[in-house]
Amino acid sequence: MSTIAITGLRTFMGRRLAERLAAEPGLRLVGLDRLRPHGLAAGVHFREVDLTRPDAGSELADVFHKEEVDVVVHLAFRREPTPDLDGDHELETIGSLHVLHASAGAAVPRLVIGSSTMVYGPHLDNPNFLSEAHPLRGHPHAHCVQNRVETERLVADWAARHPACAVTVLRPCWIVGPTYRDAVTRYFGRQVVPTLMGYDPLLQFVHEEDCLDAFARAATSHHPGVYNVVAPGVLPLSTVLRTAGKRLLPVPPPILYRLRAYPSQAQTGDRPEGFYDYLRYLWVADGRRGWEAFGRPVYSTREAWMAAISSKRMRSYR
Amino acid sequence: MSDPKAAPSRDRGELWSGALAGLRDELLRRVAAERGGDSLGEAGRFDLFTLFEDLRHRVGQLGMRERSGEVDDFGLDPETIRSARPLFQLLRRRWWRIELVGLEHVPDDRPVLFVANHSGLLPWDGMALAETIEEAHGPARRPRFLIADWLITLPFVQPALARLGGVRACRENAERLLATGHSVIAFPEGVKGAAKTFRDRYRLQRFGRGGAVRLALEAGVPIVPVAVVGAEETHPILFKLATPARAFGLPFLPVTPTFPWLGPLGALPLPSKWVISFGEPLATPGPDAAQAGDDLLVARLTEELRSEVQRLVKAALAIRQGVFS
Repeated sequence: MSTIAITGLRTFMGRRLAERLAAEPGLRLVGLDRLRPHGLAAGVHFREVDLTRPDAGSELADVFHKEEVDVVVHLAFRREPTPDLDGDHELETIGSLHVLHASAGAAVPRLVIGSSTMVYGPHLDNPNFLSEAHPLRGHPHAHCVQNRVETERLVADWAARHPACAVTVLRPCWIVGPTYRDAVTRYFGRQVVPTLMGYDPLLQFVHEEDCLDAFARAATSHHPGVYNVVAPGVLPLSTVLRTAGKRLLPVPPPILYRLRAYPSQAQTGDRPEGFYDYLRYLWVADGRRGWEAFGRPVYSTREAWMAAISSKRMRSYR
Repeated sequence: MSDPKAAPSRDRGELWSGALAGLRDELLRRVAAERGGDSLGEAGRFDLFTLFEDLRHRVGQLGMRERSGEVDDFGLDPETIRSARPLFQLLRRRWWRIELVGLEHVPDDRPVLFVANHSGLLPWDGMALAETIEEAHGPARRPRFLIADWLITLPFVQPALARLGGVRACRENAERLLATGHSVIAFPEGVKGAAKTFRDRYRLQRFGRGGAVRLALEAGVPIVPVAVVGAEETHPILFKLATPARAFGLPFLPVTPTFPWLGPLGALPLPSKWVISFGEPLATPGPDAAQAGDDLLVARLTEELRSEVQRLVKAALAIRQGVFS
């Protein structure tokens, strides 16, 4: 009987992962979050912890110790950036630091951390496929990405100092699927989609179920290291939008980058570059290492995208 | 109908639809007269409608043809290549009259690293070479050409080149391409080669830092030296401007006989006579990582390769009678 603790139980990944693992025999699930979630899955024990509080570290260590936690899955990250830049930093970076300290204090043998391939950053001089060893350059204007980059640095540093703990970092690319919603799917969900004139980068998606599979396998097996969680294949942005029947609105980058008060941008608290550069340059990750460790995804990039848009179409007919 | 000038703008739509309806009736009347009837039958009206629907359908299909968007991992789109082929055939056969020498030296059963002299601002040489090999050895053996970073910075150009098989020149990309069984065309001269002025044409620049040779040694693929003669005259650079280039973020702004004088038309290549000459594959000692680490060996092979390409270029220049014949 092993015990798995999941931070960020109310996030999409946290909730779904807890539901999935709770259904498996021989696993005990402890869910941690700031507030009690609605409709807690059967078999998940809820513990209230606020990662933004200064004493969250010792509180967490207490929980890990009392529940005899064998695996910590750290998923308490914002699904999308918010205008509360300081709050995002407190939760994502400092919160992760609390989790690391608590894991060291309670001598947790295994730690799984969710990150994103966005940490590589969209850069002109990226190779077509970024391996896990590529430097994390992020994007200076995407504050949530910068938080993740900082978190990954903290984690790498901490893992080097705590060889007793097996640390697995998973970097999924943009997640799509029938039920997943965030700023990216909202962008793709518009009828008229602004794109950067003259740029048509290759994009990569992973289906929500494939992503959950990877996290579930990382939580239940021993695979220390960093892994990209991506689907095979790439799609040009124009194909992505056309297959969804969207209207493209190509805008010259200098004009688009000046639209700072643009409503969807104002919601993120970032300058437009922080999002639109990801639709300008390449940042496709190489998934081979992850496929070897956690199995090949069921959905390719194209299939994941098709699954996402077809479910959306069904919903609008309901 | 009243005078259009007198009609307020909101009546313009009515005016147009009235005119179109009149035109349609007139056409139908003529069609009916042609058929020998004199009346405006229901059948005639129906015909026009189906014709319109058919046309609309065809136009829609035309639009859909570009929608395949089925690209490979590096963004190559076979559909784009297919639609660009007539243009390339025209360029190859009529415009440049490309002459091939030594094509039998290219193995058709395994990935190869082509190493060629570089010239011209747009990678016409890479595209022509890729098309030539594809024609000889089939689409599965189409090599990918590596393109310099500064081309990647150009909007519109970069997506188009990626769909035609252009890949950013960097070690990771070339390694992955060779490992997945694709041939690669490398231009080790890099931007220095592309930026040669007309005075320095066909004088090979330094071959980078031996990256191409090291790559072939590690991947265990043969190196085929290639001389592309004629590409240097497609955009002969008379001189380079530095100050305006900085404003656009380019490494240099070229002045050719046609650019910038003719604007975008200056991007059209001149009809120079081309010769593409393939040399014998350089024997590489095999996939031995230790050997790839031997810097002296790499440097020696790189110099050998450079002199071989230079020799091929000279031989190919002798084949041509003049720049345009």
